[in-house]
Amino acid sequence: MITTENLCKRYGKTDAVRDLNLDVRAGTVFGFVGENGAGKTTTLSILATLMLPTSGRAFVGSAEVTTEPAAVRRMIGYMPDVFGVYDDLSVREYLAFYGTAYGVGAAQIEERTKELLNMVNLEDKADGYVNALSRGMQQRLGLARCLMHDPPVLILDEPASGLDPRSRIEMREIIKGLRQRDKTVLISSHILPELADMCDEIGIIKRGALVACASVEVVTARVNGHRQICVEVLAGGLAMADALARHPYVSEVLTCEETRVDLLFAGTERDQVELILDLTAAGYQVKTFREVGGSLEDLFLHLTSDAHAAEQSASALEGSAAGQMA
Amino acid sequence: MEAIRYRLARWMDNPLLRKELRQRMRSGRTVLALSLYLFIIGAVAFVFMYVNVQGQTLLLQPARTADLFTFLSYLQLAMISFVTPGIASGVISGERERQTLTVLLTTPLSPASIIFTKFVTSISFLLLLIVMTLPLYSIVFLFGGVVPSQVLAVFGLQIVTLGAIASVSIFWSTWLRRTGWSTVFSYATVAALFLGLAVAGYLFDNIANHSSDEAVWGLMSGICYSLNPIYMQASLEASLGFTSPVFHQSIVSSVFSVVQIHDLSSTASWQSFFYLYLGGSALLLVSCIWRLRPGTFAVLRKRLLRWLLR
Repeated sequence: MITTENLCKRYGKTDAVRDLNLDVRAGTVFGFVGENGAGKTTTLSILATLMLPTSGRAFVGSAEVTTEPAAVRRMIGYMPDVFGVYDDLSVREYLAFYGTAYGVGAAQIEERTKELLNMVNLEDKADGYVNALSRGMQQRLGLARCLMHDPPVLILDEPASGLDPRSRIEMREIIKGLRQRDKTVLISSHILPELADMCDEIGIIKRGALVACASVEVVTARVNGHRQICVEVLAGGLAMADALARHPYVSEVLTCEETRVDLLFAGTERDQVELILDLTAAGYQVKTFREVGGSLEDLFLHLTSDAHAAEQSASALEGSAAGQMA
Repeated sequence: MEAIRYRLARWMDNPLLRKELRQRMRSGRTVLALSLYLFIIGAVAFVFMYVNVQGQTLLLQPARTADLFTFLSYLQLAMISFVTPGIASGVISGERERQTLTVLLTTPLSPASIIFTKFVTSISFLLLLIVMTLPLYSIVFLFGGVVPSQVLAVFGLQIVTLGAIASVSIFWSTWLRRTGWSTVFSYATVAALFLGLAVAGYLFDNIANHSSDEAVWGLMSGICYSLNPIYMQASLEASLGFTSPVFHQSIVSSVFSVVQIHDLSSTASWQSFFYLYLGGSALLLVSCIWRLRPGTFAVLRKRLLRWLLR
């Protein structure tokens, strides 16, 4: 549904986006992850027809963004990372304005306003002024605005940025609800665990290039395959480290001290429980047994920390993704 | 005709136009500004008449009402030059600062329709002010000395000037990121048109008096004056027979004498004024459309090529 072919955007001597090849399938929620300045917003802006690429092509459906921008605009609902609202407009008028701009009929506007305000929990604010809404409410209203013309594709640039935890959860639930509406969603974010919860696939971008792209299951499996675990005991940490090094699911003992051992664990959660029982049975007085990191964020940091490592991880991920798809 | 009516109806259905007009007209400030302007113009007209007739309206002569008309029309021109940049210089930069422009550009509204709507809504308030003063001008008709066609001619000139100032302000608003800078540049451009050209004309006139190339300097001076709305309005009023300077002020006399010396009522002067103001306004607005979405013309070019090849 969203495709880019060797997409490049250059500002002077800086490559904001380099040979980006994306393929977001219809009906999926695709998470686009990257550090600040990695090229996420530039890519989304090109897809939203706000910017022309230096080279390469981008498609939404079958429409090319540079040659058929009008068709693309009708197919997308775009929510930038930061957006303002008009003063002196009520919530109802705000939605009606954008609905009319997309050519939605008056009767449909009325109907959709009601439905969407209900979806984003703002039905009681319908006659209030938009500039009087809280940031979280404005973000939710922005999402409702994106849906006024019922587009098949939604492009959301960090929709939860700057929101408090409650608003963030509300926003996440609303986006998860979009799956039922059969929308293709391209969403960029820094909050990786939330993306894992919402997305079907994740792409990691670094310095304008895509360094990893795979389904959430593949990424999560990879992260779980190398979970870092910290075991704290009252005493005998060094001896325990020797024993752990021989354990079949311990791939590496990272550090060991008298009271603490850090290791990489490749087993499942059940294997993890068995390891705790084994340690206790062997007489080690285990004080704590906890995962350190081991989240998508770690993978993200790992992939974006070093170019060589990133390329290796990317090829490994793409290989697993291809295997899974095959 | 039916096609024009259909296009007009479709254009009037522009959601941005409706939103802008609704937002502009429903605020209390608008009502206050309209009332205040009418009050000031009304008070000026009353004082002018009272001073001239000493309370006896039968003493009011047609020549005096022509003076009143000249005075009111210049007051209106001053209002246009002061208020238009204030309204129009933030139309696009304001959208950018409020961070609403990005979303607007992802809607099917074309950059041309956005710029044209902003232009129309910017001048609509000023047009309303001008139309509102028509009943006051009817006082002038009451005592004779001026006919409606003369009033309409002056209004026409003012509307062209208003459009040009609005275009300049929208140009700065589109090309500069900050409304503050846009306002400064808009007022500077208006000052250059109203004062700069007058000073330049005066300078060239003086050089012409002491130069062997008198004709060349005189021509340049004439061009400067013919591009200045103050002198062109004076030329219009002079050509309509209003030679009596308002309050017999020397500065007003000098304006009218420049009109006669340089023959600013001539067709050539009016042509240069209209070409620059109408053509310049159109060019500025086109550049705004390009600036708003640089790809617009590339798409149009591709479409044109495709159509030609077909």
